[in-house]
Amino acid sequence: MNGFFRTVATTAIAAAALIGATTAHAEGERYVLVSHAPDSDSWWNTIKNALALAGEQMDVEVEYRNPPTGDLADMARIIEQAAASGPHGIITTLADPNVLSGPIRAAVDSGIDVIIMNSGTPEAAREVGALMYVGQPEYDAGFAAGQRAADDGVQSFLCVNHYISSPSSSERCQGFADGLGVELGSQMIDSGQDPAEIQNRVMAYLNANPGTDAVLTLGPTSADPTILALEQMGLAGDIYFGTFDLGGDIVQAIRDGIIQWGIDQQPFLQAYLPVVVMTNYHRYGVLPGNNINSGPGFVTADALDLVSELAGEYR
Amino acid sequence: MAETGQGAVAAPVKDERVKETSALRKALIRPELGAIVGTIAVFIFFILFAGDSGMFNAQGILNWSTVSAQFMIIAVGACMLMIAGEFDLSVGSMIGFAGMSIALIAVTLQWPVWIAILLTFALCVAIGALNGFIVVKTGLPSFIVTLAFLFILRGFTIFFPQLIERQTIIGGISDAAEGDWLAPMFGGKIAGPFFDWLASIGVIDVFERGTRAGQPIVDGIPMLIVWALVLVVVAHTILTRTQFGNWIFAAGGDAQAARYVGVPVNRVKILMFMFTAFCATVFATCQVIEFGSAGADRGLLKEFEAIIAVVIGGALLTGGYGSVVGAALGALIFGVVQQGLFFAGVESSLFRVFLGVILLFAVILNTYIRRIITGER
Amino acid sequence: MASFDHNPIVEMKGIEKHFGPIIALNGVSFDVRPGECHCLLGDNGAGKSTFIKTMSGVHKPTKGEILFEGRRMNFDSPRDAMEAGIATVYQDLAMIPLMSVTRNFWMGREPIKKIGPMKFMDFSTANAVTMEEMRKMGINLRSPDQAVGTLSGGERQTVAIARAVYFGAKVLILDEPTSALGVRQTANVLSTIDRVRKTGIGVVFITHNVRHALAVGDRFTVLNRGRTLGTAQRGQISPEELQDMMAGGQEMVELESSLGGTV
Repeated sequence: MNGFFRTVATTAIAAAALIGATTAHAEGERYVLVSHAPDSDSWWNTIKNALALAGEQMDVEVEYRNPPTGDLADMARIIEQAAASGPHGIITTLADPNVLSGPIRAAVDSGIDVIIMNSGTPEAAREVGALMYVGQPEYDAGFAAGQRAADDGVQSFLCVNHYISSPSSSERCQGFADGLGVELGSQMIDSGQDPAEIQNRVMAYLNANPGTDAVLTLGPTSADPTILALEQMGLAGDIYFGTFDLGGDIVQAIRDGIIQWGIDQQPFLQAYLPVVVMTNYHRYGVLPGNNINSGPGFVTADALDLVSELAGEYR
Repeated sequence: MAETGQGAVAAPVKDERVKETSALRKALIRPELGAIVGTIAVFIFFILFAGDSGMFNAQGILNWSTVSAQFMIIAVGACMLMIAGEFDLSVGSMIGFAGMSIALIAVTLQWPVWIAILLTFALCVAIGALNGFIVVKTGLPSFIVTLAFLFILRGFTIFFPQLIERQTIIGGISDAAEGDWLAPMFGGKIAGPFFDWLASIGVIDVFERGTRAGQPIVDGIPMLIVWALVLVVVAHTILTRTQFGNWIFAAGGDAQAARYVGVPVNRVKILMFMFTAFCATVFATCQVIEFGSAGADRGLLKEFEAIIAVVIGGALLTGGYGSVVGAALGALIFGVVQQGLFFAGVESSLFRVFLGVILLFAVILNTYIRRIITGER
Repeated sequence: MASFDHNPIVEMKGIEKHFGPIIALNGVSFDVRPGECHCLLGDNGAGKSTFIKTMSGVHKPTKGEILFEGRRMNFDSPRDAMEAGIATVYQDLAMIPLMSVTRNFWMGREPIKKIGPMKFMDFSTANAVTMEEMRKMGINLRSPDQAVGTLSGGERQTVAIARAVYFGAKVLILDEPTSALGVRQTANVLSTIDRVRKTGIGVVFITHNVRHALAVGDRFTVLNRGRTLGTAQRGQISPEELQDMMAGGQEMVELESSLGGTV
């Protein structure tokens, strides 16, 4: 019994030490960024880095929060909680307006400024009472990519959707199909999040549908295994390949000619600009008069050096 | 631990080698003791580290209470089932499935929301019964059977809305639920006037602007919390005060021994699977009515969160021992820690570290308690 | 002895039980009368478990008949047999260690107290009866909330026996109640058997220990290779003879001589 309590005491002290190490508060304005991404989504690392950089440069306190499993109902609770802690501003995504508009509106009504970033639309942001929207409208980005692919002669495609439960992911695929002028139908597959599974599903689909002209992936999570799948099947550089978002492997693949283009929504700006905008708004009362489109920008093999240098960190 | 000496004048037949049990030791063998101590410790901790961060203003309290109540609802079901000797890993998927079922019936089929809710309850409880039936009839571990249902239900939850609506989030339930008689039982709030009064005397803040300016920030107790408390009280009463409760303990403690004395073990287990499904559906209904939409990813990993709360609450994973009050406190600890770490300014990724530490403590304490009870070395 | 003044409560005549090609019981005749302790002796594999399960309603005999109080009985489940008054105390499945003595005692037959439309378990009655019944068996519980796990093996057997007696058993089948116990605890269980017998209950005491059987038995039946080899009265048979019959005679004699007669 003594041994047991000694264990308990030791662990409790260790835990308390851990807490003590992480509770340093900065002075001044405090902003909380709430994302919808599960822990496993590495793309959001850029957002975290940009947020930290903005906090450092503007000398404000910033925090990043997300629902560990990507459950949007949990995200709603996090927004409520962020509001209860009384920050100066909340930066959040609007992945599902049904779920999130209530908590966001409550935060706005209790006097907290909100900027919508990443998922959402300018209209939806205005409806919930946010200051502005910073991001890339998903359907429009998909549509623009579809038109570009159509110009390059693509008629059929495979959309590798690794986050099928998020409507904005499906909108990208839908926009691409509409841009091409074809029916989406079964060309979108639910790939799951596991790299090996994604790779095998892409291979299975392409084996079953050898006439597929193009592959569209929705981010590094699906793009990286898809690159491997294409290399293994000998289709790398042969099949038309476009992707949303950037990452280390994607940049290399663009350089190697495996990927034709990456749609860069420039997540850096989505986290960085809201902090800058809000800080200046709170300090000097100045606010840009419009929404900010952080993307879409198409990244191709030209002008790739800076992108590759910072890929996964700030790009 | 006082030892009774040889000469002690005590009960006539007394084995001198059996130590007299001290009050402390006796208190320790209550299954919920660990959870009570844990709850107090957690609150002291957060009052010290996050006392002035908004965690204990009206809005903050509502926030962690709501999160804890969510955990409680599924933990109560998981607790009863675990005491009856089984697991249900399909709870999380059931939450997603139930929410989607309500959304599809109410929004796509345009049926009244109360019918959608009642049909969904019937459907989900039937699936719970099927779970239980398969476990009981095949003798397979419930771990495997419900793992299968974890995938089956999640698959349907993604498949049907995509097939019918071509999307994975179905909204518009709020509009459909307008004027419905049953929906407020899950998504409504009670004690509104009391909170208006609290706001009028300045105890809680009011909205500064917008359409709700002047109204209190916290305008009532969500039905979610009411459901959690009702489920805890009812389940605790059934478990500790009724014949059926004794059968639940017996079914989990030793199913064969229970069968020998005529306890209908199979019926008890199937009913507990149904109750777990019922709790998951309550969770889902509250969520869907409150947020107005159902998503295919709702409830992910909730089965483990429920089991963790139950284990923190002192139940044994092997069944036959546990407490609903303990599980409820486990859920409270879980909710308060999860939300509180944010208020305390801790990096959110460390939440899992704390969760792991707490879980480890709980399991060690449980093992210790079981040793006292069974006298094993 | 009182046991011969009565007709048997349970009488088994020429019972056979086949499991597919395996013949587990091949002609068993056995009876038990009120107030007697009838010992059934047999080595491992002799068919004792099958015998118990047949008598307590788990198995239906392939051949032969079982009479209960003179009537042919046809139990569909152990529950039926139990309702009729045949209680079985299994060696290791008697008690649930994590549950309190009271909860174990009343398991399956909990007393009900109605408060309005609600039915609750009547714990005050249950606790009082449990304490009293255990006291009658010579065990003073610290508290009725005490978990069975804290009791010794002998005490657990006693709780199970007390339970059967309290719920009106006419026949009590004890499956090797002493096999895992020490000397002192064995003595306690044997004296409990004696106490039960004196209340007029017929006890079927299954064991492979000749000395334990002789200590309390009124009659002795030996089961060997699925058959009963006849029944002896107390005083008509020596321990050595019983031992020989259990082992099947010849090889035991050889073994015994090589071991110097200590088995």
